[in-house]
Amino acid sequence: MAIVMISSLYQSGREELAQALARKTNWPVVSREDLVDQARAAGIKVGRLELSIIKSPGMHEKLAREKELYLAFLTNALCEKARQGDFIYHGRAGHLLLPGISHRLRVGLTAPQEVRIKRAAQMLHMTPEKAENYLLQLDEDVGRWIHTIHRVDKSDLNQFDVFFNLENIGLSNAAGIVCAMAELPDFQPTPASMKMLDDLHLSSQAKLRLALDERTQRADLQVQADNGVVTVTYPPHDEALGRDIPLVLADLSGCREIQCTMAETNILWVQERFEPKSDNFQQILQLAQRWGAAVELLRLVPPGELQFDPEDPGSLADSGFSRPECPLPYDGGVEDDEPATAEDDGGLRLTEEELVNRGRCGGRHTICGGTDKILEQVQGNGRYALVVIGDMFLSKGHSTRTRRTRELALSIRDRLKAPVITADELKARFLFGKRQAVTLVGFLALLVLMFGVVFTHQEAVKNFLSGPFHQHYKWVASVFMIFFIPLIAYLYGTVTGLALKIINID
Amino acid sequence: MHELLTMHFIDINLATALQVVLLGFIGGILSGFIGSGGAFFMTPGMMNLGVDGVIAVASNITHKFGKAMVGSRKHAAAGNVDKKLAAYVLVTAIIGIQIAVAINSYLFKGGGDGHGTAKGAGANLYISLVFATILSAVAVSMLRDILKSKGNGDGGGGPSLKIAEYLSRLHLPPVIHFPVADTKVSLWILMLVGIATGYLAGTIGVGGFIGVPAMIYVFGVPTAVATGTELFLALFMGAFGALSYAYQGFVDLRLTMLLYLGSLVGIHLGVYGVKVVNEKYIRVVTSLIILLCVFSRIVAIPVYLRQLSFLDFPADWDYYFNITSKFFLFASGIGGALVILLKVFHAYRQRRRVQKTMLVVQKPGLKQVEAVRVLRN
Repeated sequence: MAIVMISSLYQSGREELAQALARKTNWPVVSREDLVDQARAAGIKVGRLELSIIKSPGMHEKLAREKELYLAFLTNALCEKARQGDFIYHGRAGHLLLPGISHRLRVGLTAPQEVRIKRAAQMLHMTPEKAENYLLQLDEDVGRWIHTIHRVDKSDLNQFDVFFNLENIGLSNAAGIVCAMAELPDFQPTPASMKMLDDLHLSSQAKLRLALDERTQRADLQVQADNGVVTVTYPPHDEALGRDIPLVLADLSGCREIQCTMAETNILWVQERFEPKSDNFQQILQLAQRWGAAVELLRLVPPGELQFDPEDPGSLADSGFSRPECPLPYDGGVEDDEPATAEDDGGLRLTEEELVNRGRCGGRHTICGGTDKILEQVQGNGRYALVVIGDMFLSKGHSTRTRRTRELALSIRDRLKAPVITADELKARFLFGKRQAVTLVGFLALLVLMFGVVFTHQEAVKNFLSGPFHQHYKWVASVFMIFFIPLIAYLYGTVTGLALKIINID
Repeated sequence: MHELLTMHFIDINLATALQVVLLGFIGGILSGFIGSGGAFFMTPGMMNLGVDGVIAVASNITHKFGKAMVGSRKHAAAGNVDKKLAAYVLVTAIIGIQIAVAINSYLFKGGGDGHGTAKGAGANLYISLVFATILSAVAVSMLRDILKSKGNGDGGGGPSLKIAEYLSRLHLPPVIHFPVADTKVSLWILMLVGIATGYLAGTIGVGGFIGVPAMIYVFGVPTAVATGTELFLALFMGAFGALSYAYQGFVDLRLTMLLYLGSLVGIHLGVYGVKVVNEKYIRVVTSLIILLCVFSRIVAIPVYLRQLSFLDFPADWDYYFNITSKFFLFASGIGGALVILLKVFHAYRQRRRVQKTMLVVQKPGLKQVEAVRVLRN
């Protein structure tokens, strides 16, 4: 089963490449324009979304909901196509659709600017000068669209599997290469990628249902699917949603379980193996209960380690430069009746079950790879109040594990734009333990001393700040202030923060 | 001169200290909830306790400096600080602060000597006028926004980016790109906004009220980044303002310390409230609180005018003007803080209640709910 996603700017030959490929393979072609027409017919205001993004790209609540609806519609339509068999898609950001499906082939295309201008001038009956200005403006708008909808830069070539410049290669040859690439084992479906496709299809169907039903369309919901389990988190100010969501999703095909969690926000917990009795679990649960948050589990299986020997170029074939293949359990949405034969899922199900029992479940995923894969998986799930990187790289030694966990945390923080901490930092930053108690008492004692000295020697303080002493040593008073005030703020800020933590207000 | 300045530092007994702590607490709640520094309440509040305007501003800007240091660390951890944008605005804001400090010092030294205790009347009048003008404009524009969004039935609408869009199309070079805020702004526009922010921070201790909306509406910066960057900026502006005022002998350390006692508790409660109250409600409460504060300041203006001999009425009347001014100030602050605390209490209880996952198991084919499990802690 081949999925080819062709992406290019306007008048850069994406449609022609898709047609050339279709002639070679007989695979059906779907264009963005077709899907947008279908979306409009279904009542989705794509024009308004485009206009809002182009005019004022700041993502407010209503625009975010329209964006989610549009993406859910496109994803659902493409998943249905993918389940029917091979297909070719072409559009402005085709390579960013169907995130996480490893067997899709993402093709980028660019054409010489003068060719684009000539084609645009002919197509739109404009002078070349006007066509050039039009293309410049359009490219800028498309860049804004891609940035707002998919949160990536349109010029990021890392998002493609292959990129053609039509100045250097003809369309027919490019189509031939794409055809040959699509036959490679790297772009063939695997159990893991098929599972991902099923999950994506189910979640997009659920999102569409919820976004189009009048009982749930105004709610700010987070929807995920994993192995036939749909997890929806909903805000606490509308308690009726807990009743309505299962009704809206009642006859959703492929859905065998619905979990609805009332939560003010989400915490994403990334770890290699989960254990409900571990310290990490207890600490994250404690934080989630305090914040009224749902905990989303993401099991990250690191890809094979790179073992390339520079002295032996022949070792490249086995050097780790191959697509990581995840040994993921896949039951096609059907639960096994015999627990003894169940695959090892890294404690994911047990941990999720425990979270359900505690009322804090926010869904689960398993992925294989690094930061890119995490972002592909979670980027559509809205903002997280916190991302916790738990125990990772378990096969490595302590130092390597610590260093790589820290690097992973930094990389996710930069790209997800969310607060990210490691499990080791969790207690120090958000929870209250012995160390925090000692800090509280120590800082409090210091503060009492400082306030005592200042308020029992008021005349001396006035003299120092503004009296004869100040007259002679103005800079001393000023510099003292610059150091003393932040110290007071830091000590007292820490004391109040810790004291409020004790009564669960933070 | 310096002995005279020391005399302008009020005596602080337990009752006064408690009032300053309360001012800090209320200011902190408002600050955490609204996102400003809370100076619009604390500065006139201290003035109503008999603190000279310039000393109230200086002590408050020093208090804001330490608070910004603590707050900006939290925002930086959340990735909400654009340090490049802050650096550009800071350089120009320092010019604004210097202008403000020079004007305040000049007016303090120059005005009102002829009426006994009215040494700072000129500065007080000037601060009150700037305060009333700027904050009236902020409150009215906020209320207009709310009414407009109500008319459109667009409750979830974000801030209008018309001004940012218009300015970006002007292409006034050099244009600078800010990666964290993900926006491009002309250097000239940056300078204008920076000077205005610095001037207002130095004059009335209110920087965030101008800086945050300017970053959102004029630069097109996302709200969270605008707040984080403004706080980071306030750290340096506060440090510079504190240094300048301390050099001139206007900072009363005792007031600053007492403000902290209340504000750092209040700010936590205010921030907690923001997480659970919808945005429109926050804006309505904010604008009403500001309008009452402005009214309170306007009521006090005739006193300063009399002290400067611009108005002629018996000095006994000062008491009635002051008490009325005090009433409206405390009504706005205490009323607003109570409303917010009520919300915080409600949210706190709700959080303890919100421990619920509903699990619905469906049998494929039968399409019926087989089991419903609702769990509560």
